[in-house]
Amino acid sequence: MVAIETNQPTLVSTRLPVARRRRRRQLQDKQYALLLMLPAAVVLAVLVGWPLVELVKDSLYSGGLLTGQHFAGLSNYRTALSSGEVQASAGRTGLYALIVLPVELIAGFAMALLFKALGDRARVLRTVFIYPLLIAPLVAGLLWQFMLAANYGILNQLLASVGILHNDNSILWLGDPTIALLAVAIPDIWLTTSFVTLVLFAGLQALPSDVYEAAKIDGAGPWQTFYRITVPLLRPVIAVVLVIRLVDAMSAFAVILIETQGGPQQASTTMGLEIYNTFITYGNTGLAAAISVLFMAAMMLIAFIALKTIWRPGGAAR
Amino acid sequence: MPDQNDNTITHAPMTRRRFLQFGAAVGATAAATTALGPVASATARRGPSTSSGKSLNVICEAGGSLELTPIAALFKKMTGNTVNLIELPYNGLYNRAYSEMSTGSVTFDILAGDAIWIPTFAPGLVPINSFFTPAVRSDYFPATLQEAQYKGSYYGIPQWTNVEILYYRKDLFESTTEQKNFKAKYGYDLAPPVTWQQFTDAAEFFTRGPALYGTDVKADVETEYLATVLQAGSPGVVLANNGSIIIDNAQHLAALEFYSGLNNKLRVAPPGAAEVGWAQAQTFFYDGRTAMTRFWGHLYRQIPSSSKVYGKVGVAPMISGPAGVAGIPGPYYLSIPKASANGALALEFLNFCYEHGQLSANTGLGLVSRISQFKAYENKPGFNAYKPMLETLNAAQTKTRPTSPQWQQIVNEVLVPMLQKSIGSNVNYAAVLAGGKANLEKILNQI
Repeated sequence: MVAIETNQPTLVSTRLPVARRRRRRQLQDKQYALLLMLPAAVVLAVLVGWPLVELVKDSLYSGGLLTGQHFAGLSNYRTALSSGEVQASAGRTGLYALIVLPVELIAGFAMALLFKALGDRARVLRTVFIYPLLIAPLVAGLLWQFMLAANYGILNQLLASVGILHNDNSILWLGDPTIALLAVAIPDIWLTTSFVTLVLFAGLQALPSDVYEAAKIDGAGPWQTFYRITVPLLRPVIAVVLVIRLVDAMSAFAVILIETQGGPQQASTTMGLEIYNTFITYGNTGLAAAISVLFMAAMMLIAFIALKTIWRPGGAAR
Repeated sequence: MPDQNDNTITHAPMTRRRFLQFGAAVGATAAATTALGPVASATARRGPSTSSGKSLNVICEAGGSLELTPIAALFKKMTGNTVNLIELPYNGLYNRAYSEMSTGSVTFDILAGDAIWIPTFAPGLVPINSFFTPAVRSDYFPATLQEAQYKGSYYGIPQWTNVEILYYRKDLFESTTEQKNFKAKYGYDLAPPVTWQQFTDAAEFFTRGPALYGTDVKADVETEYLATVLQAGSPGVVLANNGSIIIDNAQHLAALEFYSGLNNKLRVAPPGAAEVGWAQAQTFFYDGRTAMTRFWGHLYRQIPSSSKVYGKVGVAPMISGPAGVAGIPGPYYLSIPKASANGALALEFLNFCYEHGQLSANTGLGLVSRISQFKAYENKPGFNAYKPMLETLNAAQTKTRPTSPQWQQIVNEVLVPMLQKSIGSNVNYAAVLAGGKANLEKILNQI
């Protein structure tokens, strides 16, 4: 009892200052953290926010940079929306994304499942599979240009040597406007399927094993397990991968520039190339800015819809 | 008290605050590096300034660098001023010149650029009318002088003058067996072709499957087709002098029928014409896969010793159509941006280039700009291309491309797609030209 009596005041006297100190430290830490975030926020505002404001501002002006500009209101937006070239480029960009995304997702998912099934035995395969991700798009563009070129292309020569093609110029990958977009999509698929695999594999690794064990006890087959457990649980990861790849595919530029420069007959001119040509090659800053703003808004809307539709974390449980 | 001589390092656990402080220090360093980076790189881009004299920065393509190297060395020797030659690829050169001149802050003092850029860049360039005295003008080809001007002022001195000529395989054309067989088939002697018909016959004669074709058809570039239009007798290409559209006139149609017909009807060119540009055509010829090629004059001195056709190449003037020989001149110009801080010295170097331009003849590109320089070398060994170039450049039908700031857009969105559309079977050439005209009108109506 004595001990308690003697100890109580000591406890109270030590606890209060500690709690106060903690509160003060917590508050100070928050402020300190905010202070530390400030430089990053300033850098972002300067490097992202300010250029965006300038972009919107530029889109309201007409005339070349060298010849002088004048305020033009929304006329650049009207020109962009009514331009057959811009509309065609937008259509090709959508088609390009529709070509690369399903192939990358299906192939990437298949590889991720294979890696998970193989476990540690897939270690070397996983490393090899990541290599294309390390190659610069510019280099990949050159590489595939040599592979697909008419007369000298390795791919056609290989196909002809095994009897699939009649001769090594049966398919003009980069010269035929009906297949040029598909031809420029091949390097993109080759480059980024490994990224999709990597992210989905990481997602698969994080899935709880007890759910699979329960499914096994309940007698679920491999397809049921995949369809009823893996896909719903992986939905947020798939959503992130899809949105990242969608935005990336729709901004495709370097590979196409190197391979076809948007040709033949502009059959592979996507929005990235359209904006580049309008701004850099033709010097029409205002129109290029207006197209960019419209393109950016469309991409944000598509990404938002994709996330809203696919993500639904916990949706399967409901 | 810790011993100062104690070498033992004690690793104290890093507290959250210490970690945040460390992060802040790294962040601040990174921010400072980012902020100062452009300044440092801009300093590097300007190149080293010499202690003995001033320094000039010239942005140019690899070919331009080759041409200017001996002149720059002599300039340094005679004046003590250094000329830094900054090489860029074609598109990169245009982009850098355009973006820097647009901002009004340039890192170069001289631009060695393509003729078709002059109308676009003119507002940012120094007019140099005083340089073009009657004596100076008389030593340049009229077409070269015309392309140096925009709205009545000169904006560049010609660095070199180029034009397409005809290259042919001497080993084939001088073979007695080939000559005998050709005469038996066509009824006249085999010789370097002069007319469209002779060119067609020779191309057809030498086409022997994938190993050898008569010539190439380039549908990924437009200049050769435009030269064909002039050979057909058109008063100009694409646009007349008064700005009216002539892309669908009878001469453009005849030229397209001949040009694409080599591929579509006669099949005397390697497949894949839609993707054949200068580089591919050059490779075909070097590899001995084409018996003839119409190509720029600089090709002659660039044939590598490893090429199958090395030492077996003959040259002749560009072929002639109904209106005679014609080519499209391809000059490059040295221009001074208004924002250059070394305008006076840049002009001095331009004058120096005019005086010593003959030094460029012995470089890898081997091109000169003045008529007197062409004539001084035309009979020297290794300069066989000069005579046919002179003849083509002096031909009455040789004309420049239209002067238009939108020319590059016209090339990219009208001419090249139109040529690519003309490749194939059962092509309606008139419809292709009509489509080209509609696209051209859209571009011209944008302004």
